[in-house]
Amino acid sequence: MLQVRDGAGETLGVLFDRYQTPLFNFYSKLTGDRTLSEDLVQEVFLRILKYRQSYRPGTPFRAWVYQIARNARIDHFRKFPPQTALEPEMLPPVLPTDSAQEQQEVELLQRALQQLPEEKREILLLCRFQELKYEEIAVLLGCELNTVRTRIHRALQDLRKAFHQLAHGTMLKKAEAAAAESIPPRGGRHEV
Amino acid sequence: MKCEHIAELLPDYLQGRLSAEQHHNVEAHLEQCADCSEEVVIWRKLSLLPVDQPDPASRARFEAMLQAYKAGRSNQPEGGTEWRKRASVWSWNVFHWLRSPLGAAAWGAALLAIGVFAGLRLAGPKPPSLDLAAMQSELASMKQLVVLSMLQQQSASARLEGVTWSTRDQQLDPQVLSALLHTLRYDASVDVRLAALDALSRHGRQPQVHKAILDSLQQQQSPLVQVALIDLLLEWRDPDAAQRLQALQQAPNLNPTVRQRVEWARSKLN
Repeated sequence: MLQVRDGAGETLGVLFDRYQTPLFNFYSKLTGDRTLSEDLVQEVFLRILKYRQSYRPGTPFRAWVYQIARNARIDHFRKFPPQTALEPEMLPPVLPTDSAQEQQEVELLQRALQQLPEEKREILLLCRFQELKYEEIAVLLGCELNTVRTRIHRALQDLRKAFHQLAHGTMLKKAEAAAAESIPPRGGRHEV
Repeated sequence: MKCEHIAELLPDYLQGRLSAEQHHNVEAHLEQCADCSEEVVIWRKLSLLPVDQPDPASRARFEAMLQAYKAGRSNQPEGGTEWRKRASVWSWNVFHWLRSPLGAAAWGAALLAIGVFAGLRLAGPKPPSLDLAAMQSELASMKQLVVLSMLQQQSASARLEGVTWSTRDQQLDPQVLSALLHTLRYDASVDVRLAALDALSRHGRQPQVHKAILDSLQQQQSPLVQVALIDLLLEWRDPDAAQRLQALQQAPNLNPTVRQRVEWARSKLN
């Protein structure tokens, strides 16, 4: 990063390769919009170029990048307030996994995550997917370390509840479908 | 240990940052408490979520942005870091000043003066020199700056003017292209979006522009822009036209007029 800061633009390509996918996932899981996420990733790198002098050597670079990433998203939604709420259809497709049960769990988890308020979704993404340390998140969000711990715990509690509600709903639907199949239709061949 | 006590330790437990004794206490609690242990299970399940892969074209877009940025920087003279810092602050102030009405008037006058000067040089008997080439390049970068600045304006008519400015050049700068695509997707005014579409469609022969324009169809909310994009699909005889139209037709809450247009376009394709 120091090379980028001192004007070596080529080094930014290395940073792009390293951070493009994590940043893209941060945005796509937060907004559910692939195109917007790609635009925002480009904006982050343009800002890194523009504001590289503001990076202080010795401070965590990852936290600095995510500070830029959060600001880019906030600025975007300030200019263009979101018109539609996140629809489950906008979620990225779940790739086939080894077992059907695991695939269903992933789907439910994605939906549960999208049901969380944005700030809770964001803090879970930062610590679980972007693997930021709690200290880094505290700096990023401008709060105390203990506040970060409390927020993560609450977000996780809410996620657990949302996941269980969705799982319960799915089980009920399955049970209804199974019951409907087991009752022979009136006038069907089972009737004597 | 009670759940409230565990709640304080759980986030650190999840990141493996507890002392051996605390770790043992938490595990003992988790064996007895279903709610807390489910939280741990959910945390672990989060790792099952797939990693979304960005479009491979993103890298090319990044390179284009980097080149445009470097091209803009190369016009500045080389100097020490301290000098560059000062220059950057100075250029930032100048940029702000240029966005003011007085700055815009000054820009206009400067451009006119350069235009007249360049015109005189071109009309003169002397063959084109290196100076002239440098001036032309400077003029092009000024135009680009004016377009980018105008596309950021609050007033829709100023943004509209910015789009019109962008059509004056035969070659589309990558940064201007990116700004126009952004305008096409997100501008609050339908008129500005339509103008951006018109400006971009002139460069539809470039595969990258072609694809980006048609990709914006799925996100468009305005029926007018949707209809204009459908017409472009037909005009360009896009190979994926049938697929794109079918996807649009399945969109919920599609405007009836647009739906009618999609059906018409599909019948034309067949």
